[in-house]
Amino acid sequence: MGSMTLYVEKNSLIHHLDPLVKLLYVAASIALTYILPEPLFIAGVLFITFLLLVVGKVFRNSLPIVALSMVLIFSLVIVQGFFHPDNATELFAIGPVVFYEEGLTVALGLVLRVLVMVGAFSVLILTTRPDEMVERLIKKGMSPKIGHVILSVLQLIPQMRATMGKITDAQRSRGMETEGKLLVRIKAFFPLIGPVVLNSLNETKERSIALEMRGFDAPGKKTFLNEEKIYPYNKQFAGMLVIIILLAIVWRVIG
Amino acid sequence: MKTFTVREVDFSYSPIIPIFQGLTIDFDSRTTALVGQNGAGKTTLVKLMKGLLKPDKGELLVDGKSISEQTAAQLAKRMGLVFQNPNDQVFKTNVLDEVMFGPLNIGFSKREAEKQAMNALRKVALESKVAENPYDLSLSERKLIALASILAMDTEMVIFDEPTMGQDFAGKEKIKAIIQELKAEGKLVICILHDMDFAAEVFERTIVLNQGKVILDDETREVFSEKEVLEKAFLEQPSVSQIAHALGFEKSFIHEAELIQFLKDVQRLNPDLS
Repeated sequence: MGSMTLYVEKNSLIHHLDPLVKLLYVAASIALTYILPEPLFIAGVLFITFLLLVVGKVFRNSLPIVALSMVLIFSLVIVQGFFHPDNATELFAIGPVVFYEEGLTVALGLVLRVLVMVGAFSVLILTTRPDEMVERLIKKGMSPKIGHVILSVLQLIPQMRATMGKITDAQRSRGMETEGKLLVRIKAFFPLIGPVVLNSLNETKERSIALEMRGFDAPGKKTFLNEEKIYPYNKQFAGMLVIIILLAIVWRVIG
Repeated sequence: MKTFTVREVDFSYSPIIPIFQGLTIDFDSRTTALVGQNGAGKTTLVKLMKGLLKPDKGELLVDGKSISEQTAAQLAKRMGLVFQNPNDQVFKTNVLDEVMFGPLNIGFSKREAEKQAMNALRKVALESKVAENPYDLSLSERKLIALASILAMDTEMVIFDEPTMGQDFAGKEKIKAIIQELKAEGKLVICILHDMDFAAEVFERTIVLNQGKVILDDETREVFSEKEVLEKAFLEQPSVSQIAHALGFEKSFIHEAELIQFLKDVQRLNPDLS
C-alpha cells in the first residue's frame, strides 16, 4: 500500500540534506519575503528556490504543484489589479475592466511570495520522505503521538482508496453498476461513502490498538529502528540560513 | 448455463510480471475445485471470470457466447462470487439488508428479495441474526452471511473463494450441503480451496493451478493420485490418500468411507489380522 506522499525518490544533494535544514529553509525563505518585500528581492529568493528544485532533480515534479497554485495566483492578480485602494494610474483595460499600475505592482509582490512559498514547500516535500522527517522531528523532541498522527493522515487516503476498491468490487459483483457514464458513477459513489469512512476509521483504530500492544505509549526513552543519518555540513547550512535572515533584518532596519 | 470457458487469456497486474499467458479452461456442470499454492492465480482467475478484472487478451465465454463486453454488474445476474474475506464484501449495517442487496440490484422485487434472503439465511442457519450488524458477528458467521448474500441472488453459476477457511465441522457440513444443493439445481459450482480433504470429499473435478498454469485438470480421484505433481505445486494429498499411501496400498483413496470399506474387506479376508 503506497502512502499519500509527493516524495520523489532521487539521488541528489538536496535529498541528502537534513529534513530540519529544509524545514528551516522553508521558514527562512518565507520570512525573507516579508522582511524585504521588494519584488526584485523576492524574485531573487524565488530564483534560489527554483535553483534548489533543479539541483534536487525535482523541478519537473514541482510544476503540477505550481500549476495548482495558479488558481490562487490568478485571482490575486485580478483582485489586486482591479480593486486595490491605491489604484490611480490606469495601465490597460479589457473592455469595461480597468487594471491599475499600483494594484498590479502589489499583485506582483504577492504572486512572487506565493510562488516562493509553493516552491520552498516543494523543495521540502518532494525531496524528503515523510517518515524520515517525522523521525527526525521526534528525535528533536516532538511527541511521538503527533508524529503518529501526521503519518496516519498520510496513510489514510491510500488506505481509503484501497477500501473503496474492495467495496466497489463487492457492489459490482452483486449487480450494482459502477462503470460507465458519469451519472452512473455519481450514483454509485454515495452508498460507498459510509462504509469507506467507517472502514477506514476502524482500520485506524485497529492500528492504534496494535501499536499500543507493542508499547507505543510506554513510559521511558524510546530507541529508533533507523540509525541516525549523518548529514554533512548540517550546522553550516543552518547557520548560514540564520545569518542570512539576521543580515536581512539588519538591512531592513538600517535601509 | 452449461459451460463457462476461459480461452487463451493473458493477464497481468504489472507489465513486468505476467500472471496468465494463454490460459484455457473449460468449466462444465461438474462441481469443480480449484487448488494451488498461495499466489498461484486462483483469486485472480475468478475475478477475471466475474468481470472484476479485464483480461489483456483472450475471451471468456458462457455457453459459447463471449461475455467480454458485459460489466461485472451485468454479469451479476448470471454468476455470483463469494469473496474470500467477508470484510471485503459485507458493507450494510444489518444482516437482512446485506443479503437483500444483491437480489434487489438484479431486479427482484422487495418482497421476492426478502424471501430469497430469508431462504439463503436459513441455508446457512443464521436466520435468527437478520437484525444484527454483520460486524457484530464472528468472522465465520460473517463468511456465511457473505455466502448467503450470493445464494440469495439465485445465479446460474456460483464461485466460492475459500469458503471453508475458519469454519468448524458444522460450518463445513453446511457448505457441503449447499454445494450439493446447487449442483442438484443444475448450477455451475466452482470453488477455490486450500482444504484438500474437503476438495476430495465434495468435488467431482479438480484443477491444480501453479504459477498461472493448469498443471492438472481431471476427475478429483485422478488428480489426487498424482502425488509427485501435487508436491511440485507444493500441495499435499488428502489425509485419506496419505494414510493409504503410508500403509502401502497401491489403490487410490480419496474418501474416508472407501478406505474404511477397503480395510474392513482386508480384515474379513484375513480374520487373524485383528
